[in-house]
Amino acid sequence: MNRAGRISLVAGAMAALSLALLLLGLAIGSTGFEPVRLGGSDPVAWQIVWDIRLPRTVGAWMAGMLLGLGGALAQGLFRNPLADPYLLGSASGATLGVSLLLVLIGAVPAAGTLGLRLGMTGAAFVGAVLAVLITLAMARGVQQTLRLLLAGVVVSMVLGAAASLVVLWVPDIMRAMQAFMLGSTAFLGWPAVAVMAGALLLSLVPAVVLSRALDALTLGEASAASLGLAMPWVRAALIAALALATGAAVAQVGLVAFIGLVAPHLVRALVKSTHGALVLLASLMGGLLLLAADVLARWLLAPQELPVGVLTALLGGGYLLWLMNRGSR
Amino acid sequence: MKRWLGLLLLLVAAVPCAMAAAEVVDDRGQRSRWADPPQRIVSLLPSVTESVCALGACDRLVGVDDYSNWPPQAKALPHVGGLEDANVERIVALRPQVVLLSRSARVSERLEALGLRVLAFEPDSLADLQRVLAQLGVLLGREAQAQALWREMNDGVERAAAKLPPAARGLRVYFEVASTPYAASESSFIGQLLARLGAANVVPGALGPFPKLNPEFVVKANPQLIMLGDRNTVPLATRPGWQGIDAIRRERICVFTPAQGDVLVRPGPRMPEAAQLMADCLARKSAGEGAAR
Amino acid sequence: MSSAIAARGLHVHLGGREVVQVDALDIAAGQWTAVVGPNGAGKTTLLKALAQLLPHAGRVDLMGRDMREWPLRERARALAWLGQDEHGAQDLLAWDVAMLGRLPHRAWLGAPSAADLAAVESAMRRTQCWDWRARPLGQLSGGERQRVLLARALAVQSQVLLMDEPLANLDAPHQADWLLTVRELVTTGRTVLSVLHELGVALHADQLLVVREGRVAHLGATRDPGTHAALREVFDQRISLHEVDSQWVVLPR
Repeated sequence: MNRAGRISLVAGAMAALSLALLLLGLAIGSTGFEPVRLGGSDPVAWQIVWDIRLPRTVGAWMAGMLLGLGGALAQGLFRNPLADPYLLGSASGATLGVSLLLVLIGAVPAAGTLGLRLGMTGAAFVGAVLAVLITLAMARGVQQTLRLLLAGVVVSMVLGAAASLVVLWVPDIMRAMQAFMLGSTAFLGWPAVAVMAGALLLSLVPAVVLSRALDALTLGEASAASLGLAMPWVRAALIAALALATGAAVAQVGLVAFIGLVAPHLVRALVKSTHGALVLLASLMGGLLLLAADVLARWLLAPQELPVGVLTALLGGGYLLWLMNRGSR
Repeated sequence: MKRWLGLLLLLVAAVPCAMAAAEVVDDRGQRSRWADPPQRIVSLLPSVTESVCALGACDRLVGVDDYSNWPPQAKALPHVGGLEDANVERIVALRPQVVLLSRSARVSERLEALGLRVLAFEPDSLADLQRVLAQLGVLLGREAQAQALWREMNDGVERAAAKLPPAARGLRVYFEVASTPYAASESSFIGQLLARLGAANVVPGALGPFPKLNPEFVVKANPQLIMLGDRNTVPLATRPGWQGIDAIRRERICVFTPAQGDVLVRPGPRMPEAAQLMADCLARKSAGEGAAR
Repeated sequence: MSSAIAARGLHVHLGGREVVQVDALDIAAGQWTAVVGPNGAGKTTLLKALAQLLPHAGRVDLMGRDMREWPLRERARALAWLGQDEHGAQDLLAWDVAMLGRLPHRAWLGAPSAADLAAVESAMRRTQCWDWRARPLGQLSGGERQRVLLARALAVQSQVLLMDEPLANLDAPHQADWLLTVRELVTTGRTVLSVLHELGVALHADQLLVVREGRVAHLGATRDPGTHAALREVFDQRISLHEVDSQWVVLPR
């Protein structure tokens, strides 16, 4: 079958495009192309390119890969092409975590130092993971997919409302919250990139190893179990991977919409494959998408920046609209 | 003999050198030593910008945030974004020796990771402001000027308070910062200035500096004078139950322009001006009372 | 003859009701047993419980050993299941779906072995879907998809096959093919247990398990007149059985 060839072609094209965008990302910023030209001769320019632009560009790519992977996992787990990685409540949990941290820093300066060390990143990650755990507890384990979905929706709404309450109660944090929720790669340094790389590796492993289980799941829960899969464990491992990938991405770049939803769709439009390849390709596609959105966000209104989450919402929404119209014809 | 003289000279020279290493404590409680006052400063807080300029170090500022608009010299400087969306690249490109920002700014972690020195100052009250001014004085090597500035600012407030006619004293005031409504309570900077002017704030400090109020609360408190920081407020009389409020019946409402709003809201060197603005409002609106008597 | 599947004290509760209640049941090995009965009799529930796909009270043995003592993968290699509600992803190729049947034999990672490839090819040729193995499931008709799913079940190469309504969407020639496949399997010593509502096809089985209201109404050889009587009875005498060309045919009354 030439499917293997097609998969390699698609993967190669995405890698090449990503590399091109990475290089472009080095050249774009509020100080223009100058730092790249000055490069070695000027230490500050060097720092701008290597310590600011490069990590945030690579970071955008990594965050996109995490979200693309999360999307493929969510759509496979829930057997629903409209699933996105935030389904189990991780987005709302992260928002609540960040809002509580901001209140803590503002209110109690002594606790603030602990809060600053934990950072918005840590608070967002802890919030995301806790939200998924609450969803699992509500659904009483991983047994039933429908119950998981419903619990996820409930948790998302309740925690989201709680975060809104916190912001109302301490309105000073409203601006910081909004900045977080619109998503941004501005704060990504090399440590952040390292963290995301670690999370990507940790979540890719179960995703790839259990990809055949995801294929089997398309036959239905009963049939998948009949093929000798220990379904509760398989589901638990996949949900853990989903929570880790989504939590890490949200913690570092905030709430970025649509990447997780759209990446698997785009891959499926290009090549029909089993989950083994889909999981990896969706990850690459997600990286490419967020990288492109980030470069655009920095370039459109240079030297000002658009929040990257706004761009992904516009682009993602546009794509889905196109998909809808194409389907109706 | 020459040897002893030499040693003595060395000692004498060493003393000011040792004393010249200034130690600054910022609002996070972090101590930092400064051998020389920084000559390239980026400030991300409008109130801190104004303070730095008031201490005569305006020419040492190389970048400010989007909202720093006074004095005109600062407004003309490169703007590097706000506290939440500070442009890391632009700040680094300006090669600052110190960046001044607030306690909870997310960008401080990133800037410190890039090797920049960061100081957090967040003056929220009169006591805060005094401390911040003193620390800025130490940082800039202008301690004497900082003390003099503080004395001047206080005198300015006293003068504004002294010029108030007796009818303007003791009025119950409600200061609305935003139309949700968010009010300035006793414990806020504005509230503390109002207290120095002898006014009574209907919003107690226990609710926090800027509480979001239930409009009912204001109706019950029945203030005699209302100050509005937000021009875009819907006419107050249209708020249910507010027509009966004393201040509204007697039309004792002061609306401040955005420029005046800046002066009032920023705890900084324009404190006497802020006090004067509020004193003028108190005097004007209570004039009717005096004339009636 | 030993039994491939034996159930004792099998009770299944669904939605607060007791849906299946079977005191003792022995499915003979090396034979094809068809499960028949009126709608809602609990045939699918019984089959799922036997396949350990539903929680149940009581004990079920597979080839003489308690189901619960079988390691999962070993059990999956010994017992294959074809459900009524298998959809399959639109994007999976027919070949991919058939290869899923080899999951109990394959390691977590790695390419399919020669044995896997041979099993899939042989299964797909049997159900005549080998020629379009590169077509995605979404582009197949209902009957074509069912044949792919059948191939998936056959690819497991298990001793025992449990199938729930395997003839859905299949036209008459392909129903006949399925019949021949089952006969071949039985000849090689395998056991087939299938729920069928096509009584005409069911009457070709070696044994008939007649189910009514969650209980075993009758279990016996298909040719047995007693079985025929039980069949007529369970359908309230609204069918009649006739022998035509040495095959039994069912006609509604």
